[in-house]
Amino acid sequence: MNTASLAGITGALLVGLGLFGLVTNPRPLRKLLAFNLLGSGVFLLFGVLARRGAAAGIAADPVPQAMVITGIVVAFSATALAVALLLRLFEETGRSTLRADPPSKAAGDGSGA
Amino acid sequence: MTGAAVLAALAHAAGSFGPGLLAAAVGTPVAILAACAISRGRRRSPALMVLAPLPALAAALLAGFGAPFSYKSRAFDVTLALDAPGAMLLGAAALLWIGAAFYAGADGRGGDGDGRFRASWLLTLMGSLGVFVASDLLTFFLAFALVSLPAYGLIIADDNASRRAGAVYMAFTVAGETLLLMGFVLLAAGEPNGSLQIRDVVAALPGSPWGGAALALVVAGFVMKIGLAPLHGWMPLAYTAAPLPAAAVLSGAAVKAGVIGLIRFLPFSHALPAWGEGLAILGLFSAFYGVALGITQTNPKTILAYSSVSQMGVIAAVAGMGLASGDLRAPLDTAFYAAHHVLVKGALFLAIGACAAAGARRHWLAFLPAAALALSLAGLPFTGGALAKLAVKGTLGSGAIGALASFSAAGTTLLMLHFLFRLARNPSPDRGARTSGQLLSAWFAMALASILAPWLLFPLTGGHLSDALTPAALRESLWPMLPGAALALPLWRWGGRLPHPPAGDIVVIGEKIIRASYGAGAALERVEAGIRQWPAAAMALLGIAIILGAAMATGF
Amino acid sequence: MQAITTALTATMGGLLLALAIILPVAGVLLSFVLGGRAAERIALYLMPAGLGVAAMIALGVWRSGAPLVYLLGGWPPPLGIALRADGFSAVMLLTTALVILCAGLFARANFPTPAGVNEARAPFAFWILLQGLWAALNMVFLGGDLFNLYVALELLTFAAVPLVCLDGRAETLLAALRYLVFALFGSVLYLLGAALLYGAYGTLDIGLLSSRISASPAVWAAAALMTTGLLAKTALFPLHLWLPPAHANAPAAASAILSALVVKASFFITVRLWFDVLPSLPVETPAAILATLGSLAILFGSVLALRQERLKLLIAYSTVAQIGYLFLMFPLAAGLHPWTADAWSGGVLQTLSHAFAKAAMFLAAGLVAETLGHDRISGLRGLGKVMPMSVFVLGLGGLSLMGLPPSGGFTAKWLLLMASVRSGQWPWAIVMLAGGLLAGGYVYRVLAPAFASADLSLKAPAPRNRERIALALALCAILLGFAPSGFFAFLQIGRPALTAIP
Repeated sequence: MNTASLAGITGALLVGLGLFGLVTNPRPLRKLLAFNLLGSGVFLLFGVLARRGAAAGIAADPVPQAMVITGIVVAFSATALAVALLLRLFEETGRSTLRADPPSKAAGDGSGA
Repeated sequence: MTGAAVLAALAHAAGSFGPGLLAAAVGTPVAILAACAISRGRRRSPALMVLAPLPALAAALLAGFGAPFSYKSRAFDVTLALDAPGAMLLGAAALLWIGAAFYAGADGRGGDGDGRFRASWLLTLMGSLGVFVASDLLTFFLAFALVSLPAYGLIIADDNASRRAGAVYMAFTVAGETLLLMGFVLLAAGEPNGSLQIRDVVAALPGSPWGGAALALVVAGFVMKIGLAPLHGWMPLAYTAAPLPAAAVLSGAAVKAGVIGLIRFLPFSHALPAWGEGLAILGLFSAFYGVALGITQTNPKTILAYSSVSQMGVIAAVAGMGLASGDLRAPLDTAFYAAHHVLVKGALFLAIGACAAAGARRHWLAFLPAAALALSLAGLPFTGGALAKLAVKGTLGSGAIGALASFSAAGTTLLMLHFLFRLARNPSPDRGARTSGQLLSAWFAMALASILAPWLLFPLTGGHLSDALTPAALRESLWPMLPGAALALPLWRWGGRLPHPPAGDIVVIGEKIIRASYGAGAALERVEAGIRQWPAAAMALLGIAIILGAAMATGF
Repeated sequence: MQAITTALTATMGGLLLALAIILPVAGVLLSFVLGGRAAERIALYLMPAGLGVAAMIALGVWRSGAPLVYLLGGWPPPLGIALRADGFSAVMLLTTALVILCAGLFARANFPTPAGVNEARAPFAFWILLQGLWAALNMVFLGGDLFNLYVALELLTFAAVPLVCLDGRAETLLAALRYLVFALFGSVLYLLGAALLYGAYGTLDIGLLSSRISASPAVWAAAALMTTGLLAKTALFPLHLWLPPAHANAPAAASAILSALVVKASFFITVRLWFDVLPSLPVETPAAILATLGSLAILFGSVLALRQERLKLLIAYSTVAQIGYLFLMFPLAAGLHPWTADAWSGGVLQTLSHAFAKAAMFLAAGLVAETLGHDRISGLRGLGKVMPMSVFVLGLGGLSLMGLPPSGGFTAKWLLLMASVRSGQWPWAIVMLAGGLLAGGYVYRVLAPAFASADLSLKAPAPRNRERIALALALCAILLGFAPSGFFAFLQIGRPALTAIP
């Protein structure tokens, strides 16, 4: 198994973990972590692509690397924004879950779950 | 000689002024609406509402007695045209709108503080005039929507009955518009050259792959508008709830949007016996159904509404028989019959208020013209009604349908006598209706116009007035009235024992069905609440990705 | 082949495309430097300028009859990034500039910097976010590179989410958080798809991809992942969980922009993906799946709108339904058939008229809520007497949503119906008609009580000037119904299908 395959498999694993987290846990912090795992998996995939470009004769394709860097910045900002929102929500309500749906309950369309 | 010279001059004038007049006919109401947005215009709005239909009347006279003309807008895809059937209906409708606006002003409506009534009035007016002159599909659909939707504002007031009437009216209207929209789309799709002119799409109808569906949808849409039984439920409710001037224009003018629709969209150049006879049978059913339900009612407005159900049935029968035999004269004859109904039905609604306003001592003064008009609807000799029956006699033919149609005059006689009986006993004015000389003079003017106009218009159908005055014609128009008159006596004596179905009769069933559908809505709401839960949405996200991928893979 | 050559060379007037993005970005930076009070002024001055730039871009596209292209730094793709404006881009830019201008003027009363202080948190944030949102939208409409579009989409989300929760109430915070987290997962899926495409073809430039693309598992997976990610951001049923609370609880001006423009941005990229990147692949089945989801959206969104108690939630659910209409365009406009031009025009027109109508309705609903102190539908009896103009705006918007003439919604529906009839795809026609009936139901629910005459107690006088802003937007939706045939030819500019139709 070469490094590219290993990176690819690791990426796939991370993506799988992230998707699992997406579906199962309603707590926003876990969701955020799942998002980051998922993102990392995708970035690894980009790394593999850059590497494959190298194998094809181009010396380390720079475009995927640029994309990964941009992507990391975006994911970082997203996480920061989400954490800020989460903290504020915790300050306001003392709890942090995405499951209950107070706005629509207040609106009377009542899932009540 | 002079007559020919006048006609030539009129034809010349039609060529030069006609197109501008057409644009003005449709544009004036909306211009007045804009003028009412400023306070000075608002103070004069009752007067402006009376003037709004004048250009249309002028255009109708020019086209009717001169020559047809058309107008094409450079800025918008709007084409207007006025031919003989359109001119006949346009003129009658414009007259009614003028008279009713005069009456409404006397009744204290549409003034400074009554913006809703005024805006609804002017928009409905615009659509009502527009349907008679629209010559392309999209303009017609726009005018049809205008004559239908804003009328809601004329029907409703602050009581539960009128709110219910408004809701039922809107439900029927929106459903009708939907049917019509799909029908128009099919018509347009069936026209090979991409033309949207009504003339072209109707000519292409028999050869279109979607011809049958298009015809069915379009006819269904118009049938809902003219309120043929069993799709008549909104009519008694709406006309009973609307104030008298509004009921007059709705029953007289607005409903003719459906009639002009049938005239314009039925392919009379191709004989389609199955379609035509189907429509005629539906119409005759409605003609008798309206009478049967009408005689059980006590409110004069409701009785007139059921009479409309019946009369629209006769008109549908005429149009249907014209289609069945491919009779190219049918459009003009139908239009004449309908124009008579525009004026008479409008005037009869106003009569209800006039009788109340006249007071007990002068009651007969308002009542006698009303009686003449009511019996004119039944085809009394020497009235416009007799001319109308004469005009459609040829189209109806001498078969079973023709015989039934002329026998429907017996029913109309019965219903009209019932109406007059109720009018004499129980004048039910709207709340807050006023007594004034202006109101009475509006009514007299309207009654006079309704009596005279058919005599002026009849020659345009190609008939001779002398034909209506032969002893045979007089006998023929009189005999169906006799059984009706004979039945009126027992009705008068024992009518109280008849069952009293509520106005709108079977619409109650429709309302029950709609209420039952709330349960389905609640079920959908529960499903949606489940879908909005996080795990479900996340699963959906992954599921859609997988399904889309699989579909892409197997799509090749 | 023509698409590739145009993608590789810059055209006259291309600099305008860069200007359309630079202008709001410069506004954001300048606002940060000059501080609170200046932010509002900068935003309001920039908006007419931006409208002018959008108009000039549209004029340029119109004059040349071909897309405008600008190569950033003069580097051609695949290494560089191209900005590209075709007919669809140009009308979206114009719509965006108009809606943002109106929303900005409207929001002046809600987000003033109080006298005596130099900077207040909410106004400062609002004006900065508004400009940021605008920059991101312009980037989306001009981007010619799938990765560039990803970044633009993320910027858009980052600007949109805080707008939802500017007032800091717990329910808006929760709505914003749900919106953000769901959107993030959507964008990761999109990025994953983009990675697969890059791996297969070595470029993400739309023009280059469209000529290289071929049927392969990587493309299928990439298309599915990217589309799904975009659907999550567009809130197509059943991925709409975040939309109703977010759109219904945001400030009125923000709701207007979110419903009118932000969901359209991801829809726009979906259209780019399907019609510019994948057009050479047969996509009937997946397109039918999208339209099926759209049909479900119309059904569920409309019925839920019928059952809401609050005006803003009703309008938000109507957005869920109207988004469904947009996706009916996919099976109808796919491929090269005589009816695809109609379907395309119909889809684009639906996008535009919904943007204007919904923005107008949200602004009007915001005014109603401010004036009455609530937006319960049961409490709207007599509204027509006190706020006739707002009721008129709700009526005009409703007209367009129902697809009745004269309105852009009607013309759009007409074109889509024509396409579905001529292509023999009847189910979509039935869905559209049924959706119109349901829309009639929920519009009636709002307007009927408004016509009643009851005495309403007002918390504040009805603000006529701000009602006029909403009216202007509603009139735009109506005016679209009078669009001349040249407008539809303009929408076809840059479509590869047009040149290929015999």
